[in-house]
Amino acid sequence: MRASILKQSKFLIVSVQGSMTDADLVQLREELGAGVRRHRSTGVIVDVTMLDVMDSFAVRTLRGIAQMVKLLGAECIVVGIQPDVAFSMVQLGLTLEGTTTALDLEDGLSALRERIGAEGNPL
Amino acid sequence: MNPSGSSPSSEVSEQELVRRKDFLEFGDADVSNLAEINELAQRYADAVIEDFYKHLLSFEETRSFFRDPHVLQRVKNAQQEYFLRLTQGKYDLAYVENRLGIGAIHERIDLPIKSYLGMYNFYLRAVSNRLSEAYQDQPERGRVTFLSLMKLTFLDMGLAIDTYIYSRERTIREQQEAIQELPTPVLPFREGMLLVPIIGLIDTQRARLLTEQLLGAVRDNRAKVVVMDITGVQAIDSKVANHMVQTVEAARLMGAIVIVAGVSPEIAQTMVTLGIDLGRMTTVGDLQSGIERAEEILGYTVTRTRSKTSSGQ
Repeated sequence: MRASILKQSKFLIVSVQGSMTDADLVQLREELGAGVRRHRSTGVIVDVTMLDVMDSFAVRTLRGIAQMVKLLGAECIVVGIQPDVAFSMVQLGLTLEGTTTALDLEDGLSALRERIGAEGNPL
Repeated sequence: MNPSGSSPSSEVSEQELVRRKDFLEFGDADVSNLAEINELAQRYADAVIEDFYKHLLSFEETRSFFRDPHVLQRVKNAQQEYFLRLTQGKYDLAYVENRLGIGAIHERIDLPIKSYLGMYNFYLRAVSNRLSEAYQDQPERGRVTFLSLMKLTFLDMGLAIDTYIYSRERTIREQQEAIQELPTPVLPFREGMLLVPIIGLIDTQRARLLTEQLLGAVRDNRAKVVVMDITGVQAIDSKVANHMVQTVEAARLMGAIVIVAGVSPEIAQTMVTLGIDLGRMTTVGDLQSGIERAEEILGYTVTRTRSKTSSGQ
């Protein structure tokens, strides 16, 4: 199953589905990179609410996405990590260092707006 | 209380009984030896029981269990049945059940194990004397028969002690459950702020429960800052401390900051000694500082609307 990338003004919202294979994740990274360039986005939110398992490959890819987005000049926030997912990630030592996280889409959007400005233009 | 609830009968299977008998080397020869003295046992039963209770009643510690003459008579009858059962063969699961039941009764009246074992010892000695008398002409036969009886008595003792241990273990388990159920409230303190006071002893199990509650509450209350107050915690070990660090990290993944407040000097010392990485953990000395820090993060400012002097009036 593929992730959906929604464009909302200057932001891109990525909704990761429950059953993502490794190949799906890599494809998502490529599509997102292209998307940020094409839409000249200033912020990306990756919503992982639907993920109930996160293995080391998924976490590495997620961190890679966040770093890539940053290099493309946009902010990236990972939202919707569920309690048990969060705890098992930490137990595995996968803490997404250097990546901004927020509780859910709403919090993520307001965090982005705070950083970038309501219109999606860099402050 | 359910009478069978205190017996671990369900834990002694056919297999386990065979294992126990094997370990005591209790075999068919022993069964026939015991069957041989059944008649003898019946003849001496009353006298042995009388001696037995005379002995029990001569000690203050055991006398207190038999103050009521009716109880005493009933117990004597039960005891006689118990002793006779030793030589009646059929040492099967029903036998085990019977022995466990008797052990459970003694456990329930809080008869100390030392007295219980002492009673077995007295019985063996009494029977030993009578066996030597009866087998005066065949001392070897008497000795072998006594050994058979001793094996069976030790099987009984093993079962009896099991009931004691089982009951204690159940108490421990119940207490552990009670501790786990100790409410650890997660209190919404301000919008976006949770207060989690932790009191008492934290073990690994409780720490895990706490983590679940805390992370769940972060999601349900949409909290941004959690103040975890550990003023009421006397000590933590390395496992629990690591668990706490992990909880803080997990909360961060969910977009919440955890402030640990009320770290006592002892706990601080422990954490330093254990070399726990506190780099990403925000800790403050007391709850007040914790709340102030949380308010600062959330952008709250608290102002007094009345001066100190007028508020007292």
